[in-house]
Amino acid sequence: MSEQLVVEARGIYHEYRHGSVVEPVLRDLDLTVRRGEFVVIMGPSGCGKTTLLNILGLMMPPTRATSLRLLGADSLTLPDDERARLRRHALGFVFQRFNLLPTISARRNVELPLRIAGQPIDGSVDRLIERVGLLGFAHKKPGQLSMGQQQRFALARALVTRPALLLADEPTGNLDSANAQAVLELLSDVHREWGQTIILITHNERLTVRADRVLHMSDGRFVD
Amino acid sequence: MLALAWANLTHHPLRTALSVLAVGLGIALLLVSKGLANGSIAEVNQRIQSVDAEIVVLPAQENVIFTNGAPFPQSFANLITRQADDQGAMAAAVIPVFFAQVNMGGQQQRLFGIDPAQMGLFLGSRRVLAGRPFDRAYEFAHAVTERRRTGGAQASSDQELADGLELVIDDRLRRAGYVDTQTGQHRPYQIGDEVRVMGRAFRIVGVVEAGVAGRVFAPIQTLREMLNGGEPWSSMFFVKLRPGVDVSQALDRFQSVLGSQARVELKSEYGRLLHESFAQLNLYMTATSSLALVVCFLFILLTMYTMVVERTREIGVLKALGMLRRDLVLLSVIEASLVCATGVAIGIGFSWAAKGVLAMVRPLLTVELAGGLVPMAVGVGLVGGLVSALYPGYRAARLNPAIALSNE
Repeated sequence: MSEQLVVEARGIYHEYRHGSVVEPVLRDLDLTVRRGEFVVIMGPSGCGKTTLLNILGLMMPPTRATSLRLLGADSLTLPDDERARLRRHALGFVFQRFNLLPTISARRNVELPLRIAGQPIDGSVDRLIERVGLLGFAHKKPGQLSMGQQQRFALARALVTRPALLLADEPTGNLDSANAQAVLELLSDVHREWGQTIILITHNERLTVRADRVLHMSDGRFVD
Repeated sequence: MLALAWANLTHHPLRTALSVLAVGLGIALLLVSKGLANGSIAEVNQRIQSVDAEIVVLPAQENVIFTNGAPFPQSFANLITRQADDQGAMAAAVIPVFFAQVNMGGQQQRLFGIDPAQMGLFLGSRRVLAGRPFDRAYEFAHAVTERRRTGGAQASSDQELADGLELVIDDRLRRAGYVDTQTGQHRPYQIGDEVRVMGRAFRIVGVVEAGVAGRVFAPIQTLREMLNGGEPWSSMFFVKLRPGVDVSQALDRFQSVLGSQARVELKSEYGRLLHESFAQLNLYMTATSSLALVVCFLFILLTMYTMVVERTREIGVLKALGMLRRDLVLLSVIEASLVCATGVAIGIGFSWAAKGVLAMVRPLLTVELAGGLVPMAVGVGLVGGLVSALYPGYRAARLNPAIALSNE
């Protein structure tokens, strides 16, 4: 395995079962992502994009796979707690629905991955919040913020541990065009400045312009 | 983790407050019922210990709390009196008591029928606060004894008994008082008040300091005349030993001569006998209040479980951010522990408040919250909280993050 490979997935197959009905959603996919790459995966609803992201993010195991290596670690054989540790140290997630915890302030949400990882809360939190342009809103709870603000805080939360891989699932799907543009700019900036590796799934063609590589999915396969 | 747990709880203040209240009420119920049982036993024992005697003679098979009637004939007193060692008689005084029941101070009281001449052994250093102890009863007892000696009939008419119908009460019972049926007002007892005992009008002639063996005393001869045809039987005896007499030797001697009908015990063992007699009732009270507490903890479990279901997405986020299963269980445990710790504190507060209220409205009840009760409440509360949190925590820990995040 090359040191440069962040993701090395081979023969990823996944199916959902609804009683006796079996619905394959990923059909023997192969994917490699190099360190510092910005990969955009596009495709229609139901083609398996989110399932692929969940599998790459170690949030669910595939039904079967030839191999799935994340930062060189064979994630197929990792026990649950080890997968959780890999998530906390190596992965950052941005979701379409933001998923900030509503019970704590935006700042606390950004601090949360550091607290879970047992890392000290240092100036990086404020710098990130400043970077997303929301320092004056950090004391507010998510319910008091606009959707665009919530997504920018969610992005700050995903980046606070400086993860090796950022996984973004339709990050602009619930945003107006101005906020979508702002989020895209932020993603593009961290990719360019930090060399952040990003896998982003979207319907939005405009998000592909900053990508190093664009993959299209259909019926559980990459096409092209 | 603590901050996150606290934030989760304060996010639903009403639900959290209800959970805290449920635990608080359960703990208070447990504490007050146990405190009432312990307090009553301690108070009765303390009063019995005030009698200037070392040994008690009780009916062999009876529960000491419910001892009533007069199973011991005078011959028992005579047997005790006759026992001697090398130095002479063992007993300095045999103190017979005849129990009856009287409703005073808003509840049933054990009426101690005692020999007026032995009042000093019951009073000890306690003072007579008002009135006097049984002056006319001496005359009554003397007259009855004299009549019987000359072959006359027993005293039975109201007129003949009138001189013996006297009560001495303790100051706590005086303060507990009664509700005046004419005015509806609460009044403390006063010297000269009439009290109906088994259909006859007794008059309160004296008030003594609280802490004496009985809250209410009457001359033993009066009760024997009313209840036992004048026969000199007794409910129990206290025995005051002569100075220097070996107590355990005397105990064995009395037990051997009195046989299986009597139980001869050290007065200092009376507390243990009370606890033994109270065991069944105590068990029932503990079981009832524990059941109430279990219901409270089920409420906590349901609340925690509801919170897990409601927060499925949030749990998914925490798992996505790398929170371990054990940390999710810990989060649930911390939340439940915070609820239970606050509930226990409130429950202890409720218990003290209930004790204060009971002291005002039912001054004869003693609630004892000291000793191991409070640590027990803390232990029960925290263990209950822990157990209540485990299943919801386990459910949260088992959630698949991808499925949890897709939860609507």
